[in-house]
Amino acid sequence: MHISIGAEFRKNRFGQVGLILLTAITVLALLAPFVVPVDPHRQTRRSFEPPSALHILGTNHVGQDNWSRLVHGARTSLLVGFLVACAATIIGAVLGVSCALRGGLYDGIMMRLVDALIIIPAIIILILVFAYLKPDIYLIIISIALLSWAGGARILRAQTLTFKERAHIWAARSFGGNNWYVMRRHIVPDLSPILVVEFIHAFRRGIFMEAGLAFLGIGDSTTVSWGTIMRNAVEYSYMNVWSWWLLPVGLALSIAILSLTFIGHTLEPVMEPRLREEASA
Amino acid sequence: MIARLRLYVVGFFAAVLLCCVIPPKRIAWAKPLTYTIADTTGDWGFPSPYRSYPRGPGYLRMSFLFDTMTWKNKEGEVLPALARRWEYLDDENAYVFELNKSATWHDGTAFTADDVAFTVQYRKTYPMAWIDPKIIEKAVPIDPHTVKLVLSEKYAPFLINVAGTMPILPRHIWENVTDPRTFGTEKALVGTGPFNLLDYDKAQGSYLYEANRAYYGGTPKVDRLKVIKFSTEMVAAALRQGQVDAGSIPPDLAEGMKQAGFQVIRAPYGWHLKLVMNHREPPLNEKNFRQALAYAIDRQALVEITQRGHAVAGNPGFVPPDSSWYNPQVTAYPFDLDRAKALLQGLGCEVRDGKVFRGEASLKLEMLSQPRFKEVGLFVKEQLERLGIEIDIRSLESKTLDFKVLHWQFQLAISGHGGLYEPSFLKRGILDEDFNSVRYRRNQELTKLVNAQLAEMHPEKRKEIVFHIQELYAEDLPNLPLYYPNWYWAHNGLLELFYTRNGVALGIPIPLNKLVFIEKR
Amino acid sequence: MIRRNVPTYIAALLIILGVNFILPRMMPGDPLMAIYGEEALVAMTPGLKIYLLQSFALDKPLWLQFLAYICQIAHGNLGFSYYYNAPTLEVILGRLPWTLLLVGCALILSATLGVFLGIESGWRRGKGLDRSMLSTFMALSGFPGFFVGMVLLLLFGVSLRLFPLSGALTPYSGLSGLALLLDIVMHLALPVSALTLGNLAANYLLTRNTMVTVLKEPYVFCARAKGLPERTIRYRHAGRNALLPVVTRTGIWLGRIVTGTLFIEVIFGYPGLGGLTYQALLSRDYVVLQGILLVVALLVLLVNFGIDLLYIRIDPRIRHAH
Repeated sequence: MHISIGAEFRKNRFGQVGLILLTAITVLALLAPFVVPVDPHRQTRRSFEPPSALHILGTNHVGQDNWSRLVHGARTSLLVGFLVACAATIIGAVLGVSCALRGGLYDGIMMRLVDALIIIPAIIILILVFAYLKPDIYLIIISIALLSWAGGARILRAQTLTFKERAHIWAARSFGGNNWYVMRRHIVPDLSPILVVEFIHAFRRGIFMEAGLAFLGIGDSTTVSWGTIMRNAVEYSYMNVWSWWLLPVGLALSIAILSLTFIGHTLEPVMEPRLREEASA
Repeated sequence: MIARLRLYVVGFFAAVLLCCVIPPKRIAWAKPLTYTIADTTGDWGFPSPYRSYPRGPGYLRMSFLFDTMTWKNKEGEVLPALARRWEYLDDENAYVFELNKSATWHDGTAFTADDVAFTVQYRKTYPMAWIDPKIIEKAVPIDPHTVKLVLSEKYAPFLINVAGTMPILPRHIWENVTDPRTFGTEKALVGTGPFNLLDYDKAQGSYLYEANRAYYGGTPKVDRLKVIKFSTEMVAAALRQGQVDAGSIPPDLAEGMKQAGFQVIRAPYGWHLKLVMNHREPPLNEKNFRQALAYAIDRQALVEITQRGHAVAGNPGFVPPDSSWYNPQVTAYPFDLDRAKALLQGLGCEVRDGKVFRGEASLKLEMLSQPRFKEVGLFVKEQLERLGIEIDIRSLESKTLDFKVLHWQFQLAISGHGGLYEPSFLKRGILDEDFNSVRYRRNQELTKLVNAQLAEMHPEKRKEIVFHIQELYAEDLPNLPLYYPNWYWAHNGLLELFYTRNGVALGIPIPLNKLVFIEKR
Repeated sequence: MIRRNVPTYIAALLIILGVNFILPRMMPGDPLMAIYGEEALVAMTPGLKIYLLQSFALDKPLWLQFLAYICQIAHGNLGFSYYYNAPTLEVILGRLPWTLLLVGCALILSATLGVFLGIESGWRRGKGLDRSMLSTFMALSGFPGFFVGMVLLLLFGVSLRLFPLSGALTPYSGLSGLALLLDIVMHLALPVSALTLGNLAANYLLTRNTMVTVLKEPYVFCARAKGLPERTIRYRHAGRNALLPVVTRTGIWLGRIVTGTLFIEVIFGYPGLGGLTYQALLSRDYVVLQGILLVVALLVLLVNFGIDLLYIRIDPRIRHAH
């Protein structure tokens, strides 16, 4: 819209902190192979070792390097979060906007579906689904996305409804633009700030859900995940090594979620005041 | 005045004397002596014979209430329980049991031979877990305290696996029960055992037992027995804080608990993890191929890395190394990569660029693994890939894995099972149609011997046969035992917990033999 | 304002029932086995299998099966759990009270504390106390509930030994009355703290923001001009209006609290529905998992419905608009 994202960030200290943290984690994750000295999957005899020169955060129960696993876990979390956000935002945008533009019965049914999906607790459905199906990383991403798009859809629909009546849309239509054209050229660009905010929310949810599911044991066994690391750390909590095994991972997860929360909070005012109320309602 | 003083003094001393002579009255409100046990799972079912879960801990919870004919002590010797004496009639293939006349049911009714006969008959209609109903052909009460059990075939481990495992049911309660699986009233808990059940809480997973002061076999050492649920991580902390008296502890803590002053006991090896191989399909149908895999997997390193040394490497002969039936002379398959490669080459494979080729294609196998044994799966994969075979790991949860193994829908799989104490497991583990069984019948001699050991009543001869079985098994290697884990229990010394030699009843590797809680008369 | 009406709830219910219905029938192999699991099947007698086949109408077309399924649910028959050897509904209802206790305490605490702190903070906007509270809660809102739970348990339970390590109460302790209550509270302390923290931050932030907006409204200025004491303005006038968004959002937070409770119960070994879900997941007790989904979803829907009704009564604008 006409509120500059950059300006919002310059004002808000929390947003800056969030952005810095997120960038730091992303950079670390991207540079993983260079930053990390050891293969995270390599099992050795040196288990439960305290932090040392070779193993900055010590080793776990099968002698794997905790730091390597932390960084590789970041990759998984960020990747899953990102893909979930992409999927959820796209689905939410397409469905939300199309509802606003089409209206009628389609809109009616869709909105009931959307409201229903918002209320239903996603975690139990996910557990049930993965009790049956084998947890593959892409299946996990799709499932989380399918249960996360609803919130965004509702907001986008509301925003599109207000835009629909704007003058420049009328003009475009009167020049012969059909729904797709209008959506593509006018509405979506104007919606971009909201899309960004919803993207951030979905990103955050994706990271949290993936870690949570992995913690419960639902995870892709070939990938290193923060949730799995925490699960193992809690399992061996009696070894008194949790301060360098559990804490760093928990903190990393918290920082990732936190940074996204801050960024999200900063960007929220870019939405119109009326929608601001809708969003927080 | 002096006379009165004398009277007082005499009176005083008389009172003191009287107090010393008369024993003190038992204080009515003294706290009962309770022994608390921690259990990591909690709920093992309603502790009645048909409702407790068919697993070791479930059986034990029930065994506190229900006695059997015989019972093992710490050394694994078969001792009298409900049966005072017994005799084996070779010509009839029957056992005659003389029953204990002082045994009574918890509700006061006398225990008789009729109850034994009834139990045998009832089990034929309603099979109980653990015990094969076909082994006892018939039960004949000879007099109210003598019963003859005629067997249908020769069965060497009868005294332990049947007489020492089958709980006897009270006829006067169960004769009208037509659905034992739903029978869950107080009456279902009436047995002849050393304890009564005071409470069972399914949600909390807790059990509360009360001593049966009228127990025929001795006096219970504690007034109450509590079993409560604690997660594995918390048991050691609970022990240290005095919240429990005994519980299983993770092997990493064994040393620490010993130093903290607790008694730590290790279970004889009764459970193992194995690499299951589909010996029906190529390339695993070749004995030499399977042997090559055994040479390629360093089981000692496996134990040191994935189990942090808290296990013992698997015996290719199947029987655990601390068992009295263990044959130390079988082929050991020490880690030897070159030998493995040589065996593969002998089968027509080529090894080039660090990969094994069979004809044109490089060799690739799929291995089913469970999340629980993820580290082991990873290790085995690494080892086999060093040999040159590419491994594709599929992680499944245990029930799905068992299903696939049962239906031969796999190439390699990692799973484990127990019950490795009595050699009868050899039949169950080699021939039976079970997902835990190897189902290997290609070696005629092996099959013959496995069946023979079960019927050989002479212990020395039986041992010879079992030794020979191990040699053949290690040679053919239908699957590869990977390791036997160390299992520990820790307790505060209040009672002398022990692991029964060869397991409680038919082989339960838990130190909750009810004799721990009883002072024998 | 989000105003859901009955069709939404029906849609939600249909989705849940649909998921419960479709999943086992999508699996390859015997649908009865997919519904009950292999171990249970082994335990069943042939007569029982036939009975179940008929009641599930597994040999009939899909839509008839769905009807049969809905009929069963309507009769309160959620199936029989072979793992627990009891009807599913019974198993679930047995564990429900503990979860309600946990969630109830957490909701009340986080709502009251959150609103109170939010009002105070919003009132003092920009000043020292507000800024420090804002920073603290902003930071706290990032920590996922289960991590907080783990740290609390390890710190206060294991290291410092101040609180019990697991469970809802000490079994067979022979306590009663006040002592029993204390025992339960001690066991509740850590789980409720962990659960409250997440919601507390969110409640606080929302109330504070709304308070800030509300304080600019003309009626507040009017109240001040009237000479009303600060306390009254803060709570009776501004605060009451700041409550509205909190109430509205409670519906959405219920979904979040379900997630949080599940993890907390697993970590603390609390014998509620969360712990039951985890056990059912481990043992692949599909019947219980489906039952839990149904019961929890129903409860969430009911509470949402209740809140919708409540909202109409609280918000005078809506009340008078009708």
